[in-house]
Amino acid sequence: MRRSLALAGTAVTALCLLVGCSSGGDDAGSGRTTLKVAALEGGYGRAMYSEVIKAYEASHPDVDVQLQISKSIEDEITPNMKAGKYPDVVVLGQGRKAALPETLIKDKALEDLTPVLKTQVPGEDRTVGDKLTDGIVGNLNTNPYGTDQTYLMPLYYAPTGLFYNQGLFMEQGWQVPATWDEMFELGDKAKKQGIALFTYPTSGYLDSYFYALLADIGGEQFYTDVMTYKKDVWKTANAKKALDITTRLLSYAAPTTVGYANEQDFTKNQQSILDNKALFMPNGTWITGEMADAPRAKGFAWGLTPLPAATEGGKRYLTTSVESAWVPGAARNKDAAKDFIAYLYSDKAAEIFAKSNAIQPIEGIANSLTGESAEFYKLYEDPSVSALVGGFASTAPVEGVDIKATLFDTANSIISGDTTEAKWQSALNEASEKLRQAGD
Amino acid sequence: MTTLSTPPHDSAERTARSAPSPRGSRRGARSPVRRRRGDLRFVLACLLPALVLFAVFMVYPTMNVFRMSLYTWSGFSPDMKFVGLDNFRHLMDDDQFVRAFQNTVALLVVVTVVTMGMGLFLAAIMTRQKLRGRNLLRFVLYIPNILSVVVIAAIFSAVYDQKNGLLNGALRLLSLDGWQQVWLGNQKIVLYSVAIAMVWQSLGYYMVLYMSSMAGIPEELYEAASLDGASVTRQFFSITLPLIWQNLRTSLTFFIMSAVNLSFVLVRAMTGGGPDSSSEVLLSYMYKQAYTNSSYGYGMAIGVVIFAFSFLVSLLVSRATRREPLQF
Repeated sequence: MRRSLALAGTAVTALCLLVGCSSGGDDAGSGRTTLKVAALEGGYGRAMYSEVIKAYEASHPDVDVQLQISKSIEDEITPNMKAGKYPDVVVLGQGRKAALPETLIKDKALEDLTPVLKTQVPGEDRTVGDKLTDGIVGNLNTNPYGTDQTYLMPLYYAPTGLFYNQGLFMEQGWQVPATWDEMFELGDKAKKQGIALFTYPTSGYLDSYFYALLADIGGEQFYTDVMTYKKDVWKTANAKKALDITTRLLSYAAPTTVGYANEQDFTKNQQSILDNKALFMPNGTWITGEMADAPRAKGFAWGLTPLPAATEGGKRYLTTSVESAWVPGAARNKDAAKDFIAYLYSDKAAEIFAKSNAIQPIEGIANSLTGESAEFYKLYEDPSVSALVGGFASTAPVEGVDIKATLFDTANSIISGDTTEAKWQSALNEASEKLRQAGD
Repeated sequence: MTTLSTPPHDSAERTARSAPSPRGSRRGARSPVRRRRGDLRFVLACLLPALVLFAVFMVYPTMNVFRMSLYTWSGFSPDMKFVGLDNFRHLMDDDQFVRAFQNTVALLVVVTVVTMGMGLFLAAIMTRQKLRGRNLLRFVLYIPNILSVVVIAAIFSAVYDQKNGLLNGALRLLSLDGWQQVWLGNQKIVLYSVAIAMVWQSLGYYMVLYMSSMAGIPEELYEAASLDGASVTRQFFSITLPLIWQNLRTSLTFFIMSAVNLSFVLVRAMTGGGPDSSSEVLLSYMYKQAYTNSSYGYGMAIGVVIFAFSFLVSLLVSRATRREPLQF
């Protein structure tokens, strides 16, 4: 008797342990749609999401929106996704270490959101596509396969470029260089005062530098060629020119750059701009918030400039970082998800987002901005400056080949002298060729 | 001095077995065979929860790693493509992988030798020499072991800082300016900077482990040895070391396995594998390939190599250090 009790007890314990692993039951079928939204808690904070959802639920009483938000949202939703439980809407851009959208793109596991562009914004008479600024969809960032199908909706955008201290330039009477020759001249002048021309937080931040540089030098066609791994594109004169300029620029880099270019210390590189130890660094508009509490030189004021033009008077590009909203192909409530995404472009939602400095690519929004960020977004008004969106095209994964790492991380080795420009070029060519073959 | 002996037999067990069983009594008593079978069932039932958990969370995932290494898969899609040993073939031509492998081996050798050597040395001093304040010392040395890796990374970021760091600051103070280094930025020394952090983290734990086994060695042995005129060093190599040998072997195997893991977490927190992959280790490279590069199958192939490698090294170490057990 006692033994069978013990046996039963053990069995119950074992079962409980296993049951503990599975999550609770799904929502009861009450007729309401439960929309699961997962978002990355980035520099804009989390309050704006709760507000937008509250507004959405008020106008859609039959929808219950569950928000999951975290600074490492990938780690939280991936295990469930592997178990087949997908969120309905995900707000998460490309270019993060976990590379979740990139992986799903490679898998062709995203829902086609082209219909959303033609959807009327709930409660308004214009369609989403009408409200969006020109050129923000239709690039590799939103249409990753280079087709007319949009899979990632651009939710916020921010210019990235070279950040500097306006106060220092005013104090020294320096002009922000418009060509690379002027840039290096300035570098020599600054060097005499013990100021380095260039630094970067970590090599990953060079994306905003490289993409713009490639487009500045060879135009958008060349940029697209590089991003889509055209055969021998890294052997062209334009590519050589880009690497020449970069190698020369890196020779002006602050000596502390490489030692601090890691997750732990990158803010020290950013601090060198605030301390007037370096002039320029590639970064995004979030930098003002990120370094808000850091000590700074007297008269410091953030400035943002596009890269110097490749030729005098040439077109200059601002690499524009875009955070996207997308719907996993395996999501359960796809229609509700599309409706929700359309709502995110409504005037009401845009107002809430703009309050947290999350600027949506909607016509006319940037004009309503005030303060520091208004100045950053004004750069787009310069007729010689264009927005550049996108990044390397996705291919089937190639084992051991990461062209972004080859392009950006090698900068560390160029500064420290551990590799040469020629080796860099051939490594890029090799990686690009492998990816091209995988894409065919 | 010491005697060679085999482990004592369990005499209690022997008497129990030879004791006459109460076969004669029929008052409800069950036969010993039945009882033993019942005991067995009870033991199995008790073990079941643990076995189930072990199977679900250890055996199955491990088997899965081996299976997945034969596929190309991004990690999500339902379509997995069987490619046989292709992933392993790619590994051979992957310079980054070779570099990560070399780094892992270098870390294992350097960190193991230094940690074990220093751990033994400190433990011997702490137990044999009646140092003043040794409890405090033991406490201080043990603390790093309970710190989280993120804290350790932050501490070492402050130690290694190229401008105001503790290390470079101390060198400047000693007028050794020429020795100053960019500890986390120089590709030739960044790996050793990580190694120092690893040693610092694990030293205290192994020291305490060895101290406890050294404390069990009878004092008479040392007394007799010193009467015979053996020096402290001689006593260490002839008494202490042989008598804690079994302990040392076990901890060595543990250490090698945990060092593989520790190198990953520390590298990720301190350098991210950089600059330019110069401090990449196998596990961090596996992570990058499996997730950042969406090559899950390839990542699992690296996982299989790590598994085989740690297994092999542990086996070799275990074989190489096999001695007849000495007892006192």
